[in-house]
Amino acid sequence: MITTAVFLPLIAAIIAGAMAFTNTGDDKAKKARLDMMAQYVTCGGLLLSAIFAIVIFKDVALGGNAQTVQLFSWIESGSLNISWALRVDSLTAVMMIVVTVVSAMVHVYSIGYMSHDPDVPRFMAYLSLFTFFMLMLVTADNLVQMFFGWEGVGLSSYLLIGFWYNKPSANAAAIKAFVVNRVGDFGFALGIFTVFMMFDSVNLDEIFTAVPMKANDTISVFGGQFHGLTVACLLLFVGAMGKSAQLGLHTWLPDAMEGPTPVSALIHAATMVTAGVFMVARLSPLFEYSEVALSVVTIVGGSTAIFAATIACTQTDIKRVIAYSTCSQLGYMFFACGVSAYSAGIFHLMTHGFFKALLFLGAGSVIHAMSDEQDMRKMGGIRKMIPVTYALMWVGSLALAGIWPFAGFYSKDIILEAAWGAHTLTGGYAFWMGILAAFLTAFYSWRVILMTFHGESRADERVLAHVHESPKVMLVPLIVLAAGALFAGYIGYESFVGQKGVEFWGSAILVLDSHQALEAAHHAPFWVKYLPLGVGVAGIGLAYVLYMWKPAIPALIVDQIRPLYTFVHNKWYFDEAYDFLFVKPAFYIGRNLWKTGDGALIDGLGPDGLSAVTLNLAKRVARLQSGYLYHYVFAMLGGIIVLITMYMLLGG
Amino acid sequence: MIIQGLTFYMFAFIAIAAGVMVVSAKNPVHSVLFLILAFFNSAGLFVLMGAEFLAMLLVVVYVGAVAVLFMFVVMMLDINFVELRQGFLKYLPVGAVAGLVLVVELIVVVGGWHLSPEALKTAASPIPENVTNTHALGAIIYTDYIFLFQAAGMVLLIAMIGAIVLTHRKRSGVKKQRIADQLARKPEDTLEIIDVESGRGI
Amino acid sequence: MTEIPNMVPVIPEIFVAVIGMALLMLGVFQKAADDATEVKTAHLVSRLGMISLVLTMMLVATVAGSTFNTFSGMFVSDPFAVYFKILILFASALTLAISHNYMENQGIARFEYTVLVIFATLGMMIMISASNLMSLYLGLEMQSLSLYVIATFNRDDERSTEAGLKYFVLGAVASGMLLYGSSLVYGFSGTTDFQMLGNMFDGDHAPDASLGLIVGIVFILAGLSFKVSAVPFHMWTPDVYEGAPTPVTAFFSVGPKIAAIALFIRVMVGPFGDLVQHWQQIIVLISVASMLLGAFAAINQTNIKRMMAYSSIGHVGYALIGLVVANEAGVRGIMIYMAVYLFMNIGAFACILTMRRAGRMVEKISDLSGLSKTHPMVAAALAIFMFSMAGIPPLAGFFSKLYIFFAAVESGFFALAIIGVLSSVVGAFYYLRIIKVVYFDPPDETLDTPIDRNLGYVIFGTALIVVLFFAFPGIIIDGASAAAAAMFTK
Repeated sequence: MITTAVFLPLIAAIIAGAMAFTNTGDDKAKKARLDMMAQYVTCGGLLLSAIFAIVIFKDVALGGNAQTVQLFSWIESGSLNISWALRVDSLTAVMMIVVTVVSAMVHVYSIGYMSHDPDVPRFMAYLSLFTFFMLMLVTADNLVQMFFGWEGVGLSSYLLIGFWYNKPSANAAAIKAFVVNRVGDFGFALGIFTVFMMFDSVNLDEIFTAVPMKANDTISVFGGQFHGLTVACLLLFVGAMGKSAQLGLHTWLPDAMEGPTPVSALIHAATMVTAGVFMVARLSPLFEYSEVALSVVTIVGGSTAIFAATIACTQTDIKRVIAYSTCSQLGYMFFACGVSAYSAGIFHLMTHGFFKALLFLGAGSVIHAMSDEQDMRKMGGIRKMIPVTYALMWVGSLALAGIWPFAGFYSKDIILEAAWGAHTLTGGYAFWMGILAAFLTAFYSWRVILMTFHGESRADERVLAHVHESPKVMLVPLIVLAAGALFAGYIGYESFVGQKGVEFWGSAILVLDSHQALEAAHHAPFWVKYLPLGVGVAGIGLAYVLYMWKPAIPALIVDQIRPLYTFVHNKWYFDEAYDFLFVKPAFYIGRNLWKTGDGALIDGLGPDGLSAVTLNLAKRVARLQSGYLYHYVFAMLGGIIVLITMYMLLGG
Repeated sequence: MIIQGLTFYMFAFIAIAAGVMVVSAKNPVHSVLFLILAFFNSAGLFVLMGAEFLAMLLVVVYVGAVAVLFMFVVMMLDINFVELRQGFLKYLPVGAVAGLVLVVELIVVVGGWHLSPEALKTAASPIPENVTNTHALGAIIYTDYIFLFQAAGMVLLIAMIGAIVLTHRKRSGVKKQRIADQLARKPEDTLEIIDVESGRGI
Repeated sequence: MTEIPNMVPVIPEIFVAVIGMALLMLGVFQKAADDATEVKTAHLVSRLGMISLVLTMMLVATVAGSTFNTFSGMFVSDPFAVYFKILILFASALTLAISHNYMENQGIARFEYTVLVIFATLGMMIMISASNLMSLYLGLEMQSLSLYVIATFNRDDERSTEAGLKYFVLGAVASGMLLYGSSLVYGFSGTTDFQMLGNMFDGDHAPDASLGLIVGIVFILAGLSFKVSAVPFHMWTPDVYEGAPTPVTAFFSVGPKIAAIALFIRVMVGPFGDLVQHWQQIIVLISVASMLLGAFAAINQTNIKRMMAYSSIGHVGYALIGLVVANEAGVRGIMIYMAVYLFMNIGAFACILTMRRAGRMVEKISDLSGLSKTHPMVAAALAIFMFSMAGIPPLAGFFSKLYIFFAAVESGFFALAIIGVLSSVVGAFYYLRIIKVVYFDPPDETLDTPIDRNLGYVIFGTALIVVLFFAFPGIIIDGASAAAAAMFTK
């Protein structure tokens, strides 16, 4: 069943891919039929897979029946033994549910959203392929297989961001995502090497059992001695930062919004970007032994949370706002992991998966209604025209802002309480950043709602005339996700982070006795418990004041703090700084290497030097082939004489 | 013993000399004749070793069939042997050097002839007594060597197929006797009995 | 009363022989006067032949796993033999699959072709299972004889005839060398049985080996090198590859080569394994020369079949590195290498077979220009095969080279590995040139569409194997590991 659940999407992807390659010519009816078949196959596969995932969850997570399915061996070389295996424990089961359910919903939603696109089968194939890689990632039982899934989702992400490959900006964004991720992947790969160097294995079970023995080992890097586990964890975390768009490596995520909206919902909100969080949780037995690494995770997470939230407040593209919001929420998950509250991080990952996918798909629904307009300044006042979407956006935003009883309330609160409960300097930093970010989160969420749905419409007449509610095939997935955003928090609370937590997670997550932030979180004082809710409500209130009742104020404020605003509005100048620091020098070096290095040196020696010699040699060798039989016989006899002579002179 | 030794060297020498002549004779017919001579001498060597069956086989098959076939081919094909030999002198020095090196090496090999004790043991399987050559061969060729025997049969079959595939051509307009057709003919098909009135013709 | 030998391990061979004869009878009795029925018969026989080869594969698989020695030590069936037999059967079946269309187009669709391919397969199976110099020779001859004939199969074509004749004469010379070597070995040891030879010269007795024996081994080596077309016994390869009908060339480049490599391992590692220091240097020389010649001589070729000939010479050079190493890792490397080589080569030839312009076959490299426009799928597949042959990751060809080079490095043959890597860099030049022609050169005249369906299947299947090898290497590697281990347990 596990194998089926994982491989169904792959099979669906292959079938849909084959359809994408089928040339239908001008036959419209045939093409429509093919499109429909591709949609049925992939959606059916994913829905089945999702049902299986739920059954597996019941068996594995609730029944405490963790297992590993061995498929077959992959690489055997010296002491390196890697096999394909599906490792399913509570952590994986949770991830599988999130991945398959959200993916299934996005698949169904795409039927409606992509209905006008000429490349439906290709799109569906990519989506399913992505899901397969994601499942490979979460079920990996060794680091290399995880890396396989990791690279696979990166590839699918690249393909999907650049899905509209005729659009230059989409291509640029795809390349940017790929390259920035490459930096992270490089760290991940180095991390795997380090782990292999220390443990002589990449198998998770073997590593985890060996960790306590190697807890204080040092390794030498560039001549200095360092704590081995810290080095390994930091390198692995660089990988996680890349994939999860954390501060420094986040620049690709907003640009990735060039892809179709369902892609943003699936990959850049609910699943792929959370892979980093998953990886840190999965490797909790490693991270637990390195205080430094944990502190770094906490600081990076806390900083990202506040940093991305500030930018989100100034953006005007509806998808970009949500993208930065994702970035910020990922920061929450990371600092939860950083204070050893992995289960809280995963809990937020799950709830966030539902409500962020909901928000994205809702935004997609808005964009769809507005004839592909994404700029909020050109929206407004359309709540009456698309009431269902409006209501669903409310649900999503309430969940995101952490208002009781929506899912976000439970998961965000427990994270903040855990950060407070860690009683460390970094924990405190993360806590206050988190509170501030929570305030901003509520603020920008309502900024989106108010600018999009309320007030006077700023769109032009023609667009307004076409505004329509999305078809049912798009709304049903939204409703399913909204149900998740409503109830997931309440249902999951006890099992994930409450009293049943230890039993629920089993051995999937390891927390040392010295790290009891989660335990302390349950005994947090009153003000810690209700501060997040308070700032959330305050944020909503502020948004109402600024964008509903006194719409003139924002401009005034912006005028007052012009330099700060410009700074934030330009995303803290990260792109410009990278451009200056890395891209320009790289181009410069590249150009120089090309002109002098390659042109003069390598071409001089290579193509013009060495290869000329090679070609010359080749001509001579070819001339040996005369075509005369007796030449050939003579060559054979000569050969054997040479061989025997050689043996007699040397070998004997 | 001495006579045996002398006979051996005689046969061996003539065989080698004939072999050289096969290669160097100007007239191809002579070459074939020398080849026959070489065969006869090899047969003599077999007799010396007590393998009279093989000796007869050599004479019957090689001399009687193969060599005669060669002779036919050589005499019937119109090949310009002078032209074929044109490069002979040009390549002689190179060939001679190569041959010389090989000969020297083989002499070294034979000079260093020593058999491992194990090898001697295996090689010394005596010829069974009171059994004729033919009988002994038959006894193993259908038992121990059945595999090789059958495989050799397959090789011959392939050779036959190959020869037919490469040379057989359908010719149109050739009349052949079809026995089946002949047997299937019935009197009714071909025979008609007609009453002919006298004086009128048909 | 003599005991009846154990027939079970020989069942596949008997089956193939019987099938070969049955198809021959079928063809002979079906043969009718007009050409159309002749083509039909040829087609039927070819189909049946393919099916029975697949059945044989299953039969071979049933005797897998254990080692049998039968027919008084003439024949051995072990995992090693099973592995190579399956490869051979694949090669033959795929050859038949890609042949028929070509044969029909050239007007030489005759049922004897299938029969001869099946008999050649039988010969190769006997070679692979040989455990005696005599059965080795008979298997080799059975194979060679069939191959001589199918090389000449287009008997009205001058080049095909010339190819067959050259192959025949040079093959006879090589057989002579092999026989001479066998006789020397027999003369100096008193036996032709591999097991007895192995016992005679194992560890302690290795010094007993006299010079004559080694010279005999060298002659045997030379004869075998001819069959795998290793330098300096390769001279026939380009001419024969160019002249023979293209499907036959495809068959030559895989079937006989794989069988002869198997024989190489069988002979060198089996009976003469402990004499390794005596013959190692010779194999090093042959291997290096083959790699270099394969790399350099291919560059200037304009005919794609000739180019593939040199490419195959180079590949044999790489495979022989594994034999130099002469341990389990090395042999395993060769086995993986040959399996991968089989699929990418057959695939590449299937692509070449699609090169047809106005009904006539063309085989210049420049004729491929613009293939990416007219046959995008074939072009993609060809690019995959070429990249794989050049050893570019993550395609199968990369991994097969990797295993060989690893084995060499592990045993300390650094120089060999470095030469291998360097020559594969040079080799990459001409493989990539094909891709360049396919994708970047403007087409002068387009090739015919659509392609034959069977070719399409073969191209697709082999390309899939080459691409997916990295994900599912277990099937091939596990088999190779088991087989290589069997070779080294005595």
